[in-house]
Amino acid sequence: MRLLSLHCRAFRSLSETEFAPGPRLNIIHGGNAQGKTTVLEAILYAATSKSHRTNLDTELPQYGAGAFHVRIQAQRGGHGVSIEAHWLNGTKRFKVNGIPQTRLSDVLGRVNVVFFSPEDIELVKGGAASRRRFLDMEISQIHPGYLHALQQYRLALRQRNELLRADRPDPDLLAVWDVQLAEHGAAIIRLRGDYVAELSRRATEAYARIAQAEPLTLVYQPDVLPAEDLGAVLAKMQASDIKRRATQRGPHRDDLDILIAERPARSHASQGQQKTAALAVKLAELELVNARAGEYPVLMLDEVLAELDAHRAEHLLDAIPLEVQCILTTTEQQRRPGRFESDCAYFRIEGGRLEEEE
Amino acid sequence: MFFNSPAVERLVEAFRRLPGVGKRSAERLALHVLGSPEDEALGLSEAIREARTRIRLCSECCNLTEEDPCGVCSDGRRDRSVVCVVERPSGAMAIEKGGSYRGLYHVLHGVLNPLEGIGPSELRLERLMKRLDAGSIHEVIVATNATAEGEATALYLAKLIGARGLSVTRIAHGVPMGGGLEFADDATLSHALQGRTRL
Repeated sequence: MRLLSLHCRAFRSLSETEFAPGPRLNIIHGGNAQGKTTVLEAILYAATSKSHRTNLDTELPQYGAGAFHVRIQAQRGGHGVSIEAHWLNGTKRFKVNGIPQTRLSDVLGRVNVVFFSPEDIELVKGGAASRRRFLDMEISQIHPGYLHALQQYRLALRQRNELLRADRPDPDLLAVWDVQLAEHGAAIIRLRGDYVAELSRRATEAYARIAQAEPLTLVYQPDVLPAEDLGAVLAKMQASDIKRRATQRGPHRDDLDILIAERPARSHASQGQQKTAALAVKLAELELVNARAGEYPVLMLDEVLAELDAHRAEHLLDAIPLEVQCILTTTEQQRRPGRFESDCAYFRIEGGRLEEEE
Repeated sequence: MFFNSPAVERLVEAFRRLPGVGKRSAERLALHVLGSPEDEALGLSEAIREARTRIRLCSECCNLTEEDPCGVCSDGRRDRSVVCVVERPSGAMAIEKGGSYRGLYHVLHGVLNPLEGIGPSELRLERLMKRLDAGSIHEVIVATNATAEGEATALYLAKLIGARGLSVTRIAHGVPMGGGLEFADDATLSHALQGRTRL
């Protein structure tokens, strides 16, 4: 996957911006609030129809503008793909290769991107809910059946919890929801287990390449295991659930342990280690997409070098496979020496204007 | 609305309560009624009144009917050993249209839905149990919809009815007849694969 060009008009601070990244490492440098992140956000928006910073598209047009336009062109397996996103007074329209798309889900997966932003450190630092959200998003993209199981599980869980809120709920009535929780919950547990097994090995490798020190391990912590036991566990918990008025066990209580040197990274790692761990997970995701699609997605790293020491920063760039097109933003105007020099393109952004530097 | 009349507003409100009617459609319907000849407009209200007063629930199967018991329940040629349980009258109507079912019906008028405050006592279950206790029914076919709530209701019925030693079956879910596989959604297909039958 290679991004050939980005064009955007009236997208946040970018009034009229063209960006033609090179095939390997692209470094965009500029001061704060000059539009570095916005360039990445525009690419992400065209590729996924979503922004990482907001769920409200009304925040995206330039201040005072009633419309914006983003177009990306990419090369995929030797074929060209273009996506156009056009937003006008509250309606967004997407075109793929010039053809209007009626469903936004049809836009997804045309141009694959993996995006790392400073907020992604929440994956390591935040509560279990942020890790479950990560697993849910990633697995739904790979496995269509997962999303269905997840939606059905959530619905059955809400129904069961509603019953539990009443005084003296009927055990027979609770049990009918248990059957659905057990069926869909077991599917969720199995698919999460499979996914983490694939992700974990790759994340460990990526972390080792960046940190070259203590090992990283990802361990799926299902609340109930084996998955087939969920029904029996729900039945056993029924009396206690009634007392506590909530469903206490099930995959809605799962977690993904992120361990550095066998200690929980959430509580026992430094800011730099946490960031490295989050990055390693993203690089593992990159490898997974490659294994599945036979082509690496475009890697976008926002402000990734901040907080990393010089060694880790250098190793991070080393850890990215050579075939990967990477777009990286930084506040420092610093050249990357060594073997990257020839593969590297430098861009400077100021007040939303992007220029390539020699 | 461009003229200020409480009567017209009441009419618009009444139309809006109908399923699938939004504000615009409700206004259009109201204007249509007001613009049509008086006997036609009053004919509508008369038709509603007549249907509403004549149609009631069958005391046997709880389906909508003009005669009690309903046409199906009073038909001597129907198989009285089988009863098919549906969520709404529309479900019974759909199966009846198919023409191949010769047993009786029972309409629940809803499904279990705790989030909307619907429990077993809101459904017409008591009447169903009385019918089963009468002894002539041997099989209950549960034809609630293939939604989470429909499935939960089916399971609840299975437990209730199974305890009486009767046979309880669930209608199959799968690929529509005459339809290509490519038009079936993922969940339906995986269900169809699970419920495959030997050739």
